[in-house]
Amino acid sequence: MATEVHSLQELRRSASLATKVFVQRDYSDGTTCQFQTKFPPELESRIERQLFEETVKTLNGFYAEAEKIGGSSYLEGCLACATAYFIFLCMETHYEKVLKKISKYIQDQNEKIYAPRGLLLTDPLERGMRVVSSGQQDAGG
Amino acid sequence: MPAASGKRFKPSKYVPVSAAAIFLVGATTLFFAFTCPGLSLNVSPVIPIYNAVVFLFVLANFSMATFMDPGIFPRAEEDEDKEDDFRAPLYKTVEIKGIQVRMKWCATCRFYRPPRCSHCSVCDNCVEEFDHHCPWVNNCIGRRNYRYFFLFLLSLTTHIMGVFGFGLLYVLYQVEELSGVRMAVTMVVMCVAGLFFIPVAGLTGFHVVLVARGRTTNEQVTGKFRGGVNPFTNGCCKNVSRVLCSSPAPRYLGRLRAEQTVLVRPPFLRPGVSDGQITVKIMDNGIQTELKRTKSKGSLEVTESQSADAEPPPPPKPDLSRYTGLRTHLTLATTEDSSLLGKDSPPTPTMYKYRPGYSSSSSSAALPHSTSAKLSRVNSLKEPNSIGEGGQKPSYRSEPSLEPESFRSPTFSKSFHFDPLSSGSRSSSLKSAQGTGFELGHLQSIRSEGTTSTSYKSLVNQTRNGSLSYDSLLTPSDSPDFESVQAGPEPEAPVGYTSPFLSARIAQQRETDLHGRFGGTAPPREPSPVRYDNLSRHIVASIQEREKLLQQPPATGREEDAGPVAAGVQSPPRSSSSLDDAKRSPLGKNPLPRPALPRFGKPEPPGALRARSLGSPEQPRAPHLGKSVSYSSQKAAPQAGVPEAEEVALQPLLPPKDEVQMRGAHSKSNGQPKNLGPVPAGAGPVPLSSPTRGGVKKVSGVGGTTYEISV
Repeated sequence: MATEVHSLQELRRSASLATKVFVQRDYSDGTTCQFQTKFPPELESRIERQLFEETVKTLNGFYAEAEKIGGSSYLEGCLACATAYFIFLCMETHYEKVLKKISKYIQDQNEKIYAPRGLLLTDPLERGMRVVSSGQQDAGG
Repeated sequence: MPAASGKRFKPSKYVPVSAAAIFLVGATTLFFAFTCPGLSLNVSPVIPIYNAVVFLFVLANFSMATFMDPGIFPRAEEDEDKEDDFRAPLYKTVEIKGIQVRMKWCATCRFYRPPRCSHCSVCDNCVEEFDHHCPWVNNCIGRRNYRYFFLFLLSLTTHIMGVFGFGLLYVLYQVEELSGVRMAVTMVVMCVAGLFFIPVAGLTGFHVVLVARGRTTNEQVTGKFRGGVNPFTNGCCKNVSRVLCSSPAPRYLGRLRAEQTVLVRPPFLRPGVSDGQITVKIMDNGIQTELKRTKSKGSLEVTESQSADAEPPPPPKPDLSRYTGLRTHLTLATTEDSSLLGKDSPPTPTMYKYRPGYSSSSSSAALPHSTSAKLSRVNSLKEPNSIGEGGQKPSYRSEPSLEPESFRSPTFSKSFHFDPLSSGSRSSSLKSAQGTGFELGHLQSIRSEGTTSTSYKSLVNQTRNGSLSYDSLLTPSDSPDFESVQAGPEPEAPVGYTSPFLSARIAQQRETDLHGRFGGTAPPREPSPVRYDNLSRHIVASIQEREKLLQQPPATGREEDAGPVAAGVQSPPRSSSSLDDAKRSPLGKNPLPRPALPRFGKPEPPGALRARSLGSPEQPRAPHLGKSVSYSSQKAAPQAGVPEAEEVALQPLLPPKDEVQMRGAHSKSNGQPKNLGPVPAGAGPVPLSSPTRGGVKKVSGVGGTTYEISV
């Protein structure tokens, strides 16, 4: 009993959930960061397909924006070179800014959509952007 | 040496980086101290400034290359790999821009290494876009610090050239006496610079080429893309811009894990599941096919989604347990079809738009076109129930009944080389089915295939049996059935595809008809007023023709006009006969008196299909019962050069080769009505005047197969 309680407490503390579903990276376009939008079968009964796919698509959009090579990233590079990269001590890179947005988005999605369904999305950054994990918590405990 | 936790302190690995640092800083310092003052005074003060800037650049990049995280992947957590651990294959394949790339399982890091990732044995880490481990900076070069390493090389080369050049200038200009200390130091610095210039410039040039090609050192050295295509390249300019101008990637290690502030507590919402919706997924060959069926409508749509991160494509083994009867059949057919044929024939998936609504009647009709083709009169006679069978038992195999053979005339000798492949599926099951020989005769029911293989096999059976009995098709009573049938499943079905069901159904009806017919009452038939899709029209035509044949005394010349040949099925028109047919009677041109008979042509071009004319006119086909119907194929061409279609009920004969090819065509074309083109409703007899050769008629059966009936 004590063990059970203990493990439950740990569960709550560490927010580890009963099962985890992993959405893998989609490498069909090379090493650009995007995740597979196919709906994991394990989530079929937990969440509407549409919502999930939309989440993943939005994430993919964010990552595409982060990796975009455009004027802003070029200027950032030049500035960094000019300052012997000391600028990185003061300023966030473009990528980091987008990552923050992503993290906020994931949290938002968790609050609004996933937590009410007993799911929890984790930021892929924690796992090296290899996978998006969504933990399921069974209602039964 | 103190042993660090888990790692021993190895001074040896710091030797190269120390040496590099010493040489770089030392030599440059000497240059600035001894050479630059003289140069700045005598030549220009810009020289030291320029050199200072370059040197600063070198240092900065050197430091970044040395101290920056190259893109180390954190070890995978236990929960991620628990599925993969013991059963995991060593490699996983993904398709990147059409090229198969293998991802290897990293036992240390416990995940499948992403493409371009490699595990560095020195650092004991998996590094993203691993280039190499550079001893001169004592660090891996990977995605995050490759740019700095590259710039370091470029700037170092520049710096070395500058130092050497200005030193030379100093010496040449001889601003001071040659034996002076400054001169000596300058000479030494020049020597060092000259010495290092060769390897550094070589390495720089090497990396310039790599960047232009979009490769990493690791890939270049291991020869991964030697002579092949590099899926990671986007062209020279984009590769360069990606290296130099992209935003620095984030590091994965050492990140503070965000605290989970979201509470997950029951009660939990659940997605609403509509009663009528059932989602079925089939994994096949890495392609996921989802079938959604709504009970009400019973329309089956097949959506394919391909998983990019697919495991090595497993052999198709859909989970049959989930499906029953028709559904299974359909899904299997779809899956297999999609997996096997999808790439080849875009229209293929449409083939499988079956209507489950039909399933009751079509559980037997579940088989695709070829199935119906199988209904043979003989078989029907013999096994009236076979049509209705919904089970999938490859009974056809077991039933190469001799009876039919005896029943039939020697035409059977023509063999049923029914090519299972012509059933429209290229699955291996077909091939296996092929082996069973063509004994036909049984109408092996249109069984709802429970398994892909079985389904296809049964398909094959049907075709193999070639027992396509068009009697039912021909009987007028069928017309309304046709209509109803047509109307039923048809609404969305792609042209070719509904016919199998239709045919099956028709076959069933035919069964009933058959008896009646053989009773001698063959009501005069009119061309079916209903417009069906091509195949169905064929069926109708064939039925009608058959009807007529039955009515008329046998033995008249059989020029049938095949109705529009339902050749859609076979895509690759290979049969010369079909081509001949085409030549003979362009579709729709010959105004044959007969109603369009269903012609099942082998794979041939639409025109050709049409052109086939069913050989004999509507003569009572009773005597033709025993005829063997062979698929018109090239092989059959000699005998069946003339498309004689009519005896639908006859067992299709096909030379094995042809069958195979036909099958292939079938599978490809998926019963394509497309090929058929517009078929005049019921009435467009195929204006093919196929001279009967040696009493061989060609009958186009359901599914676009052509049967040669030897009279």
